[in-house]
Amino acid sequence: MTQPKVIAFFPEASFGAALNCVGIAQQLRSLGARPVFICHPGFRGVFAEYGFPEYPLPSLGAGGQTDWTDFINRHQDAFRQTPLEQIRSYVGPTWDAIVDTAIAAEEPLRQLLAQLKPAVIVLDNVVMFPAITNAGVPWVRIISCAETELPDLAVPPYLSGCGGKPGPDWTLFAERYHKAVAPAHRRMNGFLAECGLKPRPPGEFLENSPFLNLLLSPDAVRFERQIPLDPKTHVYLNGCVRQEAPYALPAFAAHRDAPLILVSFGSLGAMDVAMIQRMIGVFETMPYRFIVNVGPWRDDYARVPDNVFLESWFPQPSVVAQASLFIHHGGNNSFCEALYYGVPSLIMSYCWDGHDNARRAQDVGVGRRIDRYQWTDTELADAITALLDDVAMHNRLEANSKAMKQSNGAAVAARAILDLA
Amino acid sequence: MDAETKKVKHRHVELAQKILDVVTERGMIRGERLPEQALASRCNVSRTPIRKALQILADRLIVAAEPEGGYLLAIDPASFPGLEDEQQPAEETELYNAILRDLSAGRIADSQTVASLQRRYDASRSAVQNALIKLSEDNLAERAPGQQWLIKQFAIGGDAVAKSFEYRLSCEPLALTLPGFRRDGPAITSLRHSMDILRGMTETGFDQKLFERTDFDFHMLIARSCGNPFMSEALVSHHRRRRSSQPPVHVNAFRLMQSNTEHMQILEQIERGHMDLASDLMRVHIQLSHSQRPRLAGRGVPPVFRVVG
Repeated sequence: MTQPKVIAFFPEASFGAALNCVGIAQQLRSLGARPVFICHPGFRGVFAEYGFPEYPLPSLGAGGQTDWTDFINRHQDAFRQTPLEQIRSYVGPTWDAIVDTAIAAEEPLRQLLAQLKPAVIVLDNVVMFPAITNAGVPWVRIISCAETELPDLAVPPYLSGCGGKPGPDWTLFAERYHKAVAPAHRRMNGFLAECGLKPRPPGEFLENSPFLNLLLSPDAVRFERQIPLDPKTHVYLNGCVRQEAPYALPAFAAHRDAPLILVSFGSLGAMDVAMIQRMIGVFETMPYRFIVNVGPWRDDYARVPDNVFLESWFPQPSVVAQASLFIHHGGNNSFCEALYYGVPSLIMSYCWDGHDNARRAQDVGVGRRIDRYQWTDTELADAITALLDDVAMHNRLEANSKAMKQSNGAAVAARAILDLA
Repeated sequence: MDAETKKVKHRHVELAQKILDVVTERGMIRGERLPEQALASRCNVSRTPIRKALQILADRLIVAAEPEGGYLLAIDPASFPGLEDEQQPAEETELYNAILRDLSAGRIADSQTVASLQRRYDASRSAVQNALIKLSEDNLAERAPGQQWLIKQFAIGGDAVAKSFEYRLSCEPLALTLPGFRRDGPAITSLRHSMDILRGMTETGFDQKLFERTDFDFHMLIARSCGNPFMSEALVSHHRRRRSSQPPVHVNAFRLMQSNTEHMQILEQIERGHMDLASDLMRVHIQLSHSQRPRLAGRGVPPVFRVVG
C-alpha cells in the first residue's frame, strides 16, 4: 500500500492564514493526502482541533515577558493613523519583527523539514523562509492577503488603501514605504545571501513560487493587471472557505426576528474595548440583532443591550452565512467569507491589507468603508441601514456568491497542490 | 394554546424524555414492549401522565401502539439524540433562560427579588417563583436573607468554562479510583452501543446532538457510579448545571469524534477493572477537551499568550 503524500503547511501566526490553510488541508485530506502543520508555538492546538498533526517550531523571537499594556497602547495609537502615517509607526516595525521571525525560524525549520520529508510545502506568509526553497521539493505560495500583495503597475501599492488609477498618491506611498522598510529589507537580503538565495527587489520580502501560487482574491474584486500573472503557475481561488461546526444563533432579549449583523475586527481589533463599546451604544438604538466578537475581553463589558450578544470565539463562516451584514476590519479572510456568502461588508480598517480591501470593496460595490474612529453615531447608523437596504448590491452579491460556491476554491487549491506531489 | 395547557404539554414532553432515558439505560431495543407500570415506578409518577407521554412518543413515531393496548419501542434508542420540545417553552423556562442571559450580559444584577424580576419581565409572581425554583434545583440560584435571591454569577461568567474544567480535572479522575466505585453493566453496554454508532459516522455527517447526549450520559454515569454519595452529588449537580447554563463551546466534528473515542477507551478500562488507567485516560480526556487558543495573533505580535477557547 502506498503511503499518503505528506503536505506540509506553514501558515504565518495569524488566524486568517491559519484557518485558510485549514480549509485547503481539509480538502487534501479528503483526497487521500496527509496534511501536517508546521506552526508557531502559540498556535499549538489550533490545527489539532481540526484533526491535523502539528509540529510547533521552538519559541521564536526575543522571548521573555511581554509588556502587554505597552504593546496594546502602542498599537492602538498606530491604528488611529492613516495608511501613510502607519508606514513609520506600524508597517516598518512589523516588517522588522517579521524578518526577525524568519531568521530565527531558519535552523529549526530546516531540521523539521528534513525529518518530515514532505512531498510539497505550502507557505502562507508574507516573508521567505530559505529552508523552504532549499528543501528540494516543490513549494507553493499562498497569497492570502489582498491581491495588492503581488505588485503590478496597474495595482495600487500594497497596504496603501489607494484606489483608482496610478497617481501622485500611489507614488508618495510607494516612496515612503520603500524608505521605511529599507533597513528590514537590507537585513532580509543579507540573510537570503547567507542561505545562498538571490536578493529581492526593494520592498519585496517573498518571491513567487516557480511551481504554484494560489491567490485568495475572488473574481468580484480582482484587478486588471498590466502584466497578467502566468496562469500556469498562478491560480485564483474564487472562494476558499473551511468547513466549520454549525452555529446555533443565541436567543436575543429583543428584536428576535430582525436582521443579524456580525461585527468582528479580528483578535487585534478586539483590543480596543472603548471603541467597540461606543459602537454598541449605537447598535442599542437600532432595530437589528448584533453578534460582536470581543475576543478575550468579554468581562470588560459591564452591560450589554438586549439586541447585542457578545462572543469570544465562534466558527465565523457559520455565522457569516446567517448574517445580513458583516462589519469587519478588512482582513482578507473575513472579506472573502462575506463575499462567499453574499453578505455586504462595512469595513472599518485599521492596518495592513485591511485598508486595501476597504477601498476595493467600495470601488467595486460589494460594501462600504468608513473610518474606524472618525464617525458620528448617525453616520454609523446610516451606513449600516444603507447597506442593509441596498437591493442592487444584494443582488450583485448573491450572484457572485453563487459563482464562488460553485468554484469551490479549496478543492481547486487541493488538486493543484496534489498535482505537484 | 393557553399558558396552563402549554405548561402541561411541556411537562409531558419532559416525562417522555425521561422515559427515553430509562429505556436507554436499560439497553432496550427496537420492538420491545414498554411496561407502563414499571415506567411509572421508575419515573415516580402515576400511569396517567405516563400514557400522555407515551402518546407524545407515538405521535413522533418513536413508539408504536399495539392493537391490544400498550406500546412497543419503534426506534433504536442508542441512536436517538433526544427529544426536541416542539412546544413553545413554558413561561418559567423562558424566564429561566432570560434570567441567565441577562445576568451574563450584565443587564440584571446577581441579587434579585421576585418583585424585581416580575417588573423586568412583566411576568406573574408564580412564573418568576417557578423559574427561581428551577434555577435553584440546577444550583444556579439560592435564597439569600430577606426576600432576596442570589443568582450565581460565577457559574455563567466569562471564566466559568475554565473553572469548570479545572474542577472536573480534580474530581472526575478521582471519582474513578474511589474504593466504592461500582460498574453499572447495562448502562455501560447501552452507552457503548450509542458510541459505536457515533464511531461509524463521518466528519461531515456527524450527529452532534447524539454526541451531546452520550457525552452527558457518560460523565453522569461516572458521577453516579463512584460509590461516594458526596462526590456523586457534587459531580451530578455540576454536570446538570453546566448543561443548563454554560454557553455552547464551538467544537469541530473532528474533536467530537476524538472525544467519543476517548469516552470508549475509558469505558473499556472500567469494564476491565483497570480503574487507575481509566482515571489517567479521564485526566487526558478533560485536558484535551479544554481547548485553548491564542489570545492575540497577527503580524508583528510578540509570542502569543493563551486563554480559554
